[in-house]
Amino acid sequence: MSISTSPVPTRPQVEGTTRPVRHDPPIIVFQNVSKTYPNGVPAIRDISFTVPPRDFVFVVGASGAGKSTIIRLLIREETASKGHVLVEGQDLARLRRRHLPRLRRKMGIVFQDFKLLPTLTVAQNVAFAIQVTDPGRSHLKEKVGEALYIVGLEDKLNTFPTELSGGEQQRVAIARALVHRPRIFLADEPTGNLDPDAGWGIVQLLLQINHRGATVVMATHNREVVDLCRRRVLAMEGGMLIRDEQEGQYLKEGEANL
Amino acid sequence: MNPVPAIRFVVRSALQNILRNRGIAFASLLTVTLTLLGAGAAVGVVSALDTVLHQEETQASVLKVFMADHISFASALNMEHTLALEPSVRTASFESKDQAAAQASSTLGLGGALHILETTGAGNPLPASINLHLRNIGAVTRINNQVSTSALLYPGPHQTDYNKDVIPRVQHYILAAQLGGAILVAVVGAVALVIITISVRTAAFVRRKEIEIMKLVGATDWFVRWPFILEGMILGIISALLASAVLLGVGLAFGSGGSLALGVGVRLALLIMAGLVLGGAVLGSFGSLFGIRRSLAT
Ligand SMILES: Nc1ncnc2c1ncn2[C@@H]1O[C@H](COP(=O)(O)OP(=O)(O)OP(=O)(O)O)[C@@H](O)[C@H]1O
Ligand SMILES: [Mg+2]
Repeated sequence: MSISTSPVPTRPQVEGTTRPVRHDPPIIVFQNVSKTYPNGVPAIRDISFTVPPRDFVFVVGASGAGKSTIIRLLIREETASKGHVLVEGQDLARLRRRHLPRLRRKMGIVFQDFKLLPTLTVAQNVAFAIQVTDPGRSHLKEKVGEALYIVGLEDKLNTFPTELSGGEQQRVAIARALVHRPRIFLADEPTGNLDPDAGWGIVQLLLQINHRGATVVMATHNREVVDLCRRRVLAMEGGMLIRDEQEGQYLKEGEANL
Repeated sequence: MNPVPAIRFVVRSALQNILRNRGIAFASLLTVTLTLLGAGAAVGVVSALDTVLHQEETQASVLKVFMADHISFASALNMEHTLALEPSVRTASFESKDQAAAQASSTLGLGGALHILETTGAGNPLPASINLHLRNIGAVTRINNQVSTSALLYPGPHQTDYNKDVIPRVQHYILAAQLGGAILVAVVGAVALVIITISVRTAAFVRRKEIEIMKLVGATDWFVRWPFILEGMILGIISALLASAVLLGVGLAFGSGGSLALGVGVRLALLIMAGLVLGGAVLGSFGSLFGIRRSLAT
């Protein structure tokens, strides 16, 4: 697997540093979190970490290590069996169901399978996120256009998702996730269905979103991406957090190259 | 949240739900129409039966209070007025001895016998009476017990006259008809509810990806629910209108004069149709709530 050196379509980059602001209170806190699914499978065992605002974090690990479970806990699709998950200081275990929409609107979320609606055009898919949360919002078109411009698809407004490449579809999903201007951006294997070039393009986009001020957590298998980016790495194994490095790599230095 | 675009979204999604699941929507429309048809027909039959039984009841709600011969006309009238003021008394009328005789000779053919008694100096044996029409059959016994203590009454065991055994029988029939109708409507309603629940559950299943995305991007539970509730309501109301049309057609075809089949009047017909539409809407919304519940669980 190799990644071509030619840069994928780039957008106007924000210059300057993207280093997280470490003296600010963390935006994400995992405090001795364990998660056991109802069928008794322990997916996460007693993990603790914090993420400062504007950090960019890769969560890596083998299949079944518990990466997706971390994402599901953050969007509160699941609740921790033990310990506390805090987002912007809010303990998600104590979040009322009716306040869940407020949490989700703070977050941009994308998955491996894009989750686009095939009957809607690109623009309609992006607009959908606004229409179902804030139907009266003004300048809908401009906001949709802006989000699609950021991901480089401003010329595909009226195209249907099935007419797009995988990478383009993921960009549409990212544009949809951006319309609420999320402070936290969560991506679960966003490159999992993409060829290396398209995958690299998506990672660039996430780095750019991080540049613009969002905290990004990306669960991934994609070793080359992780090794190229040299960002923070949380390595999971069997539900445990075995490594937390600031400029980490997919594998531990000197670890066997599988 | 601005209501206009929200409503537009909800209406559009509901109509899309129906159009996308044409098959299931049509099948549930048909079955719900049939069940509501059953409910409407049941209400029609029960109320027709009720009308007949109430006529019986009215006829049975008659109490004749016989007056003693010696009392004055004034005290008889006084008693009539007192009884007429009773809330359960619909009408009270005084029937003099002469009127009783005239009545007896014309309806019972006792003219000859009365004439003989009169001419032999024995006088008119028939007592004067106050004839009461009561508002309902249940009051007959009570009023009877109340007047029986009066000193103005004809002495002896036959102070009053009413139809003792008809009363409980008619009461039983009315109760049975109402109960049977209520049970039928309840069963039919439950069936319609289940059908709409299944239909909406299917629609929610077809739209599960959309629901998933809505929740992901932060739509509220109610925003997710509304299109489905509206879908259920539309199905329920259209079914009710179809059932009403069929019932009206049948009623007109078999009706005569100013009323529909089974002697159902225009007022009752309108009431049944309004009830069906309201029932359809309520069943539709609750069916939807049940149908969508599972999809909102996570
Ligand atoms: N809904 C669930 N019910 C029961 N067990 C589950 C559920 N989801 C995940 N698991 C189990 O929990 C463990 C962790 O799963 P998780 O999805 O977090 O892994 P992952 O690191 O994302 O794996 P992958 O790389 O394959 O996506 C696995 O053993 C998995 O089988
Ligand atoms: Mg996973």
